[in-house]
Amino acid sequence: MNTVGRMEPLITVNCSTMECASLSPSAPIWQDVLAQAMTGELIAAMNYTSLSEICDDPNELADALEHAQIERGHAARFAVEGRKLGVDVSNNVDAKHWKRLRDAFLGCITERDFIGCLIVQEIMLESFAVASYARVGKVAPGSLGKTFSSIAAEEEEHVDHAMSILRAERALDAPRFDDKVYRLHLDVMTTLAKMLAKECRDGHCEVCHGNCVKPSLFEVSLSAAELRGASLQQYLKTLDMLGIPGEVTLTWVAQLPV
Amino acid sequence: MGGAVASVDRPERAIQAQADQGTTEPVDFALIGHQESWRAAADVLAALRGPDRMHLPDDEVKDILPWIPPRTVCHVEVGSILPTKIDGPTGATAHGLYIDSFIPPDRLEATHVHENIARVRGAAACAIRAGARIVSLGGFSSILIEGNFDQLPDRRDTVFTTGNTLTVGFIVQGMKKMCVLEGRDLRKSTLLIVGATGDVGSGCARCLAPLVKRVLLSARNVERLRRLAAELRIDEVQVEIATDCLENNLQRFSAEADLVICAASLASPSHLWGRIAPQAIVCDAGYPKNLSPNAQMPGAKIFFGGLGQITGGLRFRPDFHGILNRHPFPDVVHGCLLEGMALALAGRFEPFSQGRGFITQKRVEEMETIAAGHGIYLAPLYNADGPVGDGLHGQTEWSRACGDGLMEQAEVPSAKTEKTAKTEGMARIGVS
Repeated sequence: MNTVGRMEPLITVNCSTMECASLSPSAPIWQDVLAQAMTGELIAAMNYTSLSEICDDPNELADALEHAQIERGHAARFAVEGRKLGVDVSNNVDAKHWKRLRDAFLGCITERDFIGCLIVQEIMLESFAVASYARVGKVAPGSLGKTFSSIAAEEEEHVDHAMSILRAERALDAPRFDDKVYRLHLDVMTTLAKMLAKECRDGHCEVCHGNCVKPSLFEVSLSAAELRGASLQQYLKTLDMLGIPGEVTLTWVAQLPV
Repeated sequence: MGGAVASVDRPERAIQAQADQGTTEPVDFALIGHQESWRAAADVLAALRGPDRMHLPDDEVKDILPWIPPRTVCHVEVGSILPTKIDGPTGATAHGLYIDSFIPPDRLEATHVHENIARVRGAAACAIRAGARIVSLGGFSSILIEGNFDQLPDRRDTVFTTGNTLTVGFIVQGMKKMCVLEGRDLRKSTLLIVGATGDVGSGCARCLAPLVKRVLLSARNVERLRRLAAELRIDEVQVEIATDCLENNLQRFSAEADLVICAASLASPSHLWGRIAPQAIVCDAGYPKNLSPNAQMPGAKIFFGGLGQITGGLRFRPDFHGILNRHPFPDVVHGCLLEGMALALAGRFEPFSQGRGFITQKRVEEMETIAAGHGIYLAPLYNADGPVGDGLHGQTEWSRACGDGLMEQAEVPSAKTEKTAKTEGMARIGVS
């Protein structure tokens, strides 16, 4: 089982000095945004690697390893964007919220629960990634924005890939499937909701390099509320695609912490 | 709670939709709506969160609600007073869904029209996926779609009604009732309709114009106004028109009218404030209801129009009693939503109200008869300050005893007796 501690400098990329711009006032904000994104990508890479260890089907195993590689590539691209801004993008997969998310996934690995793994990674974590990257992509300048948008689109493809498997699974026993999603929702989405809350009530997130970045997001035309809203909307739409009744998922989301 | 409206075979596609949703309950009707205030929206979220979780602060409600995609909020069951062989003396029931489009209460203006149409489309898609046989479009949903039915998604076996015909029926009944209560003679009255060219406004004009001395029509589109006026003049009705742009005309109209129907889709009809003649009877037929007797129109007799009351029982699951229906009387619902329920109870899954400008007296009478046959009548009248006239007693018999006698033709049992029988064990809504 992979348990990786603080991963800096796991990613090494070369960035020519010609690409690096002078440090802009918003660079520290983007640095923290990138740090969160990179940490999420590395968690995803670790999750797919772990998933490959329980895959019996060679095709599924190959898919999992390929996804792990893609997620590492995303992390590398975020690192490159940081360097273009003149900042080092750190990551911390042991930061408290991210570690809880990783632990939730590892719980499914322990149970050799392939479907549970897909639900956590593809439905919950990817919803968060797709929505928040897309929002960042709309406001971030230049190549930074393009990178976020492009990665959001790629992550969406991952969701599409998992959807057919999960829909087929739900068709076998909808109540049982929905119970499983709800159980995982309580763990994973509660943690994500705390991460996405407008204020970090549980102290420092252990990823931002200084003070919490959330109060500064308005300086780059973002807000924590917008990222949370977009993420939960994406999550609800994804659950709709699975066929879970809307009134059920509405209650789930309404009961999340704020 | 008895079977679904009976005797109506369910299409295969509807059965498949239920299977997809993992439910076995039929969906006879769906009601598409949205919350009219942030307070109402906060109460919906509080109910969803349950009693053990803290209520969301107002800023969180405003941050969260606009992101919620259209979806079912709860199941709705409506009872009829009409006994059936299957259900016995307790009457038939129809099962449905309340689907919220989650249009934010502060985004009802024209600037958000495309976003809001997308939300209504999303809500309509939910209804279709659920296999609903008839869908009523509540509040701004019908206003947005009434002239644009082609913007709804592929409808399969689901039919849509704006519900405007029954809304018009209850507005007209309410106006007649207020005239009786206030000792006014309709035939000597001057009626002003603001928003006269809309579906509801023009329907009210067709129903009331033959009954009053003079009709004043106000709207934004002068061509539509002229067409409506010409139509009414065929029956030798005395008609004058004014566009909202011609402030002087509207000001004169407001001062001359002793009956006013505000049917304009205005978030706040502020241009009327302070202009309505004292003692005028004013029907607030808009959504949200936003005319206040004391602050905005001193002396005017204002009532909220277009509302009906279900006497055969209404239940929400989960229990949103008093939350989705925020009226001072039990089981009061907007006419537009009641139309879909009444049609479902009658087994008439047809697009009764579609398009704009097709509501006639004859169609209104037909719809009222269908509704009354299942125990759906004009609600007790009230306004922002509370009950008006006999609304103080919260009963519905009056609505059958007054007006043009249409309701008596339905030969329905006593509403009070039926209500007592039907509501035992049922969650009630709308009790203040």
